[in-house]
Amino acid sequence: MKELIQKINAIAKEISRPVSLMEVCGTHTQVISRYGIREILPKNVKLITGPGCPVCVTAQRDIDAVVNLATAGIPVATYGDAMRVPGYFGSLDNAREKGAQVFDVYSVEEAMTLKEKYPELVFFGLGFETTAPMTAWGIQNGLTVYCAHKFFLPAMEALLKMGELKVDGFIDPGHVSVVIGKRPYEKLKIPQVITGFSSQDVLEGILMLLGQIKNNDLEVLNQYIGLVKDGGNLKIQKIIDEVFKEADGEWRGFGMIPNSGMQIRKKYAAFDARIKYKKILDGVDFSHSKDPAGCKCGDVVRGLMESKACPLFGKVCTPDNPVGPCMVSVEGGCNVSYRYDRM
Amino acid sequence: MKNIDNITLDMGGGGAKSSEIISEIRGILKVKGKWKNTQDDSATFDLGKEKLVFTSDAFIVDPLFFPGGDIGKIAMSGTINDLSVMGARPIGVSLSIVMEEGFPISDLKKIIMSINKVSEMAGVPIVTGDTKVTEKGKIDKIEITTSGVGLATKVISNSGAKVGDVIISSGDLGEHTVTILAQRFNYQPKIQSDCKPLNKEIEKVGKFLNACKDPTRGGLAANIIEIAQKSKVKVVLDEKTLPYKKETVAVTDLLGIDIFSLASEGRFIASVSKEHSQKVLKILKKFNPEAKIIGTAEKGNGVYVKTELGSLRRVEMPRGKLVPRIC
Amino acid sequence: MCLAIPGKILKINGQLAKVDFQGVQKEINISLVDVKIGEHVMVHAGFAIEKMDRDYVNEMEGYLKA
Repeated sequence: MKELIQKINAIAKEISRPVSLMEVCGTHTQVISRYGIREILPKNVKLITGPGCPVCVTAQRDIDAVVNLATAGIPVATYGDAMRVPGYFGSLDNAREKGAQVFDVYSVEEAMTLKEKYPELVFFGLGFETTAPMTAWGIQNGLTVYCAHKFFLPAMEALLKMGELKVDGFIDPGHVSVVIGKRPYEKLKIPQVITGFSSQDVLEGILMLLGQIKNNDLEVLNQYIGLVKDGGNLKIQKIIDEVFKEADGEWRGFGMIPNSGMQIRKKYAAFDARIKYKKILDGVDFSHSKDPAGCKCGDVVRGLMESKACPLFGKVCTPDNPVGPCMVSVEGGCNVSYRYDRM
Repeated sequence: MKNIDNITLDMGGGGAKSSEIISEIRGILKVKGKWKNTQDDSATFDLGKEKLVFTSDAFIVDPLFFPGGDIGKIAMSGTINDLSVMGARPIGVSLSIVMEEGFPISDLKKIIMSINKVSEMAGVPIVTGDTKVTEKGKIDKIEITTSGVGLATKVISNSGAKVGDVIISSGDLGEHTVTILAQRFNYQPKIQSDCKPLNKEIEKVGKFLNACKDPTRGGLAANIIEIAQKSKVKVVLDEKTLPYKKETVAVTDLLGIDIFSLASEGRFIASVSKEHSQKVLKILKKFNPEAKIIGTAEKGNGVYVKTELGSLRRVEMPRGKLVPRIC
Repeated sequence: MCLAIPGKILKINGQLAKVDFQGVQKEINISLVDVKIGEHVMVHAGFAIEKMDRDYVNEMEGYLKA
């Protein structure tokens, strides 16, 4: 490990100019802070947190929609962190406190078990290519879903296109890559390394990125070679394609990103909560479904602002009383920063 | 307690929110009396030569029966342990039970038998109690409250850790919560709840302990942070010697749960001077071969883990309830 | 949950498999991968999402033991 750090130092010295690398996966954000990787990197290598926390990029409108389903008497199940994101109408957790039937689950299979007891149950599906296949499997097996799933690559493209941010390379997400493989990243024309999740993996990924930057290469390298195949997991790609089609997707911080959303195909319309409960959703006033006042989550997920620079950070907004989702999720930039970086 | 009208689940989790609601409650209660250590595991009252030590605890567990124990075993061990970590010899425990109608008498008998077993093992009698029954659905099956009194010549507080001390764990931690989580999420681990009374082992080493706590709710994190804060020292744990079994690590990794927040129901952590540490360790190893040194108390404040990269990572007070996370 | 630990397939029963993670066993849905008994998988939210290379498993296990 020491050797690795020495190599990183040496190559950073050769590059000499400041370099910004973006980690786009929330678990990478966690590993980086957990092991204090920022502190041991050379001064001219900066790590920026990107949009890889699924809870953080979920649009306020989607949160408000599921909270309204729950308060209208529809049982709702979702993954742990999504329960706490405050929307205009409160969070799913708040809905449960007031008596709504809201359940946190670890897997879609658990939601299927709940469905036996609560036949009307809606699963709030969110996340990228890593959680979408389980939701797809659930839909094929009769689970009703409010779908907020997203394709990850369009967000990386959008970031580059917006041009607000200077990124020299991406630490690509390990498990999204397990699904989509290496090839789709190639069109981004920027140094990238698909990286695993141990501290050693991340350091290796950084070293491989610096190597490319030094040589002016624009490649997609694979550090997570034991798991990520060039073509990805075809079985998973197939089930995602069977159940979802590309549609515009709304991201917190980005707004609409073309072709980034997963929409349940017509064939499975009977299990699409947006259609099944259209009447309830049509009755919801979404005019307040905007980011909370003062919350800079949108800038944080685009890497434009460090969490600590947000005026609410640590004062009004803490993990106990989060204002925005970046403080809710344990892999949100603000939450990670609050827990590890306040030395 | 800004913007909150109702009790939330995390107020019972032993973390930051629990502390807030407890100080809210304490703020209303005005009569103080001559009791000391009222912010510790047990309160103490000076009797002259000895001190009376008093504690109370309420227990709700789901599932009621689990590998390695049941709600009765926890209820009895928990109160004995809260007295023991204060350096007291427990002398009597009260037992109050609230049940909903329809609760199987056979289950009640099983629970009482297991309370009796702990009582025999620890040599501590149940001396008084109460039983109430509610209409079905008013409570979840059964709730048990135990209170206990003990006598101590030297009180071990949680504020006595000194710079230069080593931190000892009486065994591997977290196996109680892991067992419960495993039941909930259908894992089959080869470990079981660590629930047991600690009075015998603490009696043997009590005079050498500068500070002591049993890391129940809030886990190692909340309890070591409390020792560090109240003792005004900094604690550095070593990532290489963390007291967790590989199965415990596997379950927390699979569920994405902070390992430091897992509760143990039959372990203690203690701050001991370097001079006495080997002696204490030798005695503790007779009770549990996994007893070991997990860190050191240094000048400063806060609790940190020394990572494999040599950097220091802050240990945070557990927040919220234990929820698994996804990517 | 992106932290990968190797899980070894012990038994297969249709879409489900009993998988061992460092001594902890759990039923995992394997409908998204092609695997045989004795092989290792990476699990995400209750589903196996990829088979692990043998070399990689050895490396990870060495790392977990260290």
